[in-house]
Amino acid sequence: MEHTSVGVAAHGDLTRESLEAFIALHGEGSISADARRDAFARYEELSPMRSPQSRYWKHDYAKLGSLGPLPSVMERTYDAIHPGGVTITSFHHARVQHPDIFEQALGKALGGIDDPFTALAFAFQNTGRFIHVPAGVVVDHPITLNLEATERFPYTLVVLGEGAQATIIEEIAGTSTGPNTMFGICELVLGDGAQLTYASLQQIGDSDRIFMTRRARCGTQAHVRWAIAELGGALARTTLRSTLDHMGANADITAVFLCDGRRHIDLSTDVDHTVGSTQSHTLVKSAAVNHGQGRYYGNITIRADARGAQASLRDDTLLLSKDAHIDTIPALEIASNDVKAFHGATVGSIDPEELFYIVSRGIPRPQAERMITLGFFEPALERFPGNALRERIRATLETKLG
Amino acid sequence: MANFLRTARQSVRPGDLPPAQFRKLVFEKLDALDMDTGFLGRYVNDGFSGGEKKRLEMLQLAILAPKYAILDETDSGLDVDALAAVGASLAALRSSEDGKNTGFLIITHYPRILRHIKADAVHIMMGGRIVESGAADLAERIEREGYAAFGSVNGTIESDIEVAGGTH
Repeated sequence: MEHTSVGVAAHGDLTRESLEAFIALHGEGSISADARRDAFARYEELSPMRSPQSRYWKHDYAKLGSLGPLPSVMERTYDAIHPGGVTITSFHHARVQHPDIFEQALGKALGGIDDPFTALAFAFQNTGRFIHVPAGVVVDHPITLNLEATERFPYTLVVLGEGAQATIIEEIAGTSTGPNTMFGICELVLGDGAQLTYASLQQIGDSDRIFMTRRARCGTQAHVRWAIAELGGALARTTLRSTLDHMGANADITAVFLCDGRRHIDLSTDVDHTVGSTQSHTLVKSAAVNHGQGRYYGNITIRADARGAQASLRDDTLLLSKDAHIDTIPALEIASNDVKAFHGATVGSIDPEELFYIVSRGIPRPQAERMITLGFFEPALERFPGNALRERIRATLETKLG
Repeated sequence: MANFLRTARQSVRPGDLPPAQFRKLVFEKLDALDMDTGFLGRYVNDGFSGGEKKRLEMLQLAILAPKYAILDETDSGLDVDALAAVGASLAALRSSEDGKNTGFLIITHYPRILRHIKADAVHIMMGGRIVESGAADLAERIEREGYAAFGSVNGTIESDIEVAGGTH
């Protein structure tokens, strides 16, 4: 029976029936059947992402069209254990080897499902990666994760014990078989005093789609650093939220995205300061060229009890062609007096004086524009961990701006 | 910055220096101009201060090695120390190998810069005309007697000194 309640999209492939079939195939998976059913119920409750009226933003999320067949279960298993007791494994093994940590952490940063795509990702979760860094352990080389668009419903759960430190670099790649639609969750749970840098380079195929939910929750004095590069996909939508509900917690959010070709990139970042002495710094650099379309929502919430909180939000957009478009919507909601909040945003095209400066040195105009655009992203790229990663992002940007 | 300098030089003199030699050149010039190698890593539209921009101009001058360099009011708004630095840079540029083949035309309102660099010729321009030409000592006369000694335009004194140097 087709699900037809008002406002719910006709995603023919993801219905209650297909969920039951998926559960039957999966058996008792890493997420219980009941939890999946609850999540799907949430999906049905939440209205689909109908984009606000905009002449430019042409994606109506309610009309995604075919999402392709559901994957057969693909629980990737790794048992790569780094020295020091760091665990990198599948959800399946995590439930067996670290049941308490796993059960406690799963959903902790999500804090309930408030987004229909998060609900879908949770309900149909098929591959799970669990990373646990025990208390006091400092991991000196970055941990790399490779996600592929064919995984469809990946879930990454990272748990850092007290005082643990790690850097994780995630890469999401497309495959030659497409188009694929991914619904993913990336959850970071930081214990007191923990420090985690989580970087992601998203380069799925030009006809793939991705809906990513990223959430972090910080313990006392914990510090999370996000560095996100959204460079691929026909449609890439990410919601990223950091919850600072313990004293002294800190979040740095850096993101870059380039809407080239006919890409649609939709990013929203959120920081929730619920208690005092918390800090956050958000920096987003975006550009659009050709017929690229982008949208950025930058939100900072400082609640009444968050005395002494400090937050900054900086977002800059560069428009490089007349058909390119980016909506940028910053929002600060501040309910406490004793705070420091800063916000700055710029939208524009290349400064003609800057361009003249470079062209007058004998450099051809298209090359000068490229130099300026790469320079534009640079302050954000500096915050990505490791030169190798930065160079790769630069190389991709350069190719797209070519 | 390094990339920008290299590309700019390539545009003017295609293929003249292989990468290793170019790097050597850049470091040489940085040293001659008493500049930090840190500049090279920064992007062309990074937030450079006024003083830093000036020094980068000097560096570009050094690397691009033009036939003629026209410095139009390069000393305006500079304090004593900054002026001395610019003067020293110009002197260093002028005496370098490339600099010996460069003609420098320095346009300024103030003779001060000539304390740091010796001119081959000095011209005073008033109302769009050159009213007096001479050697370096002309600048000293201006300092002693002021521009009024050389004439006026509609009762106002507004003049430029043009200082020429080099072999052209």
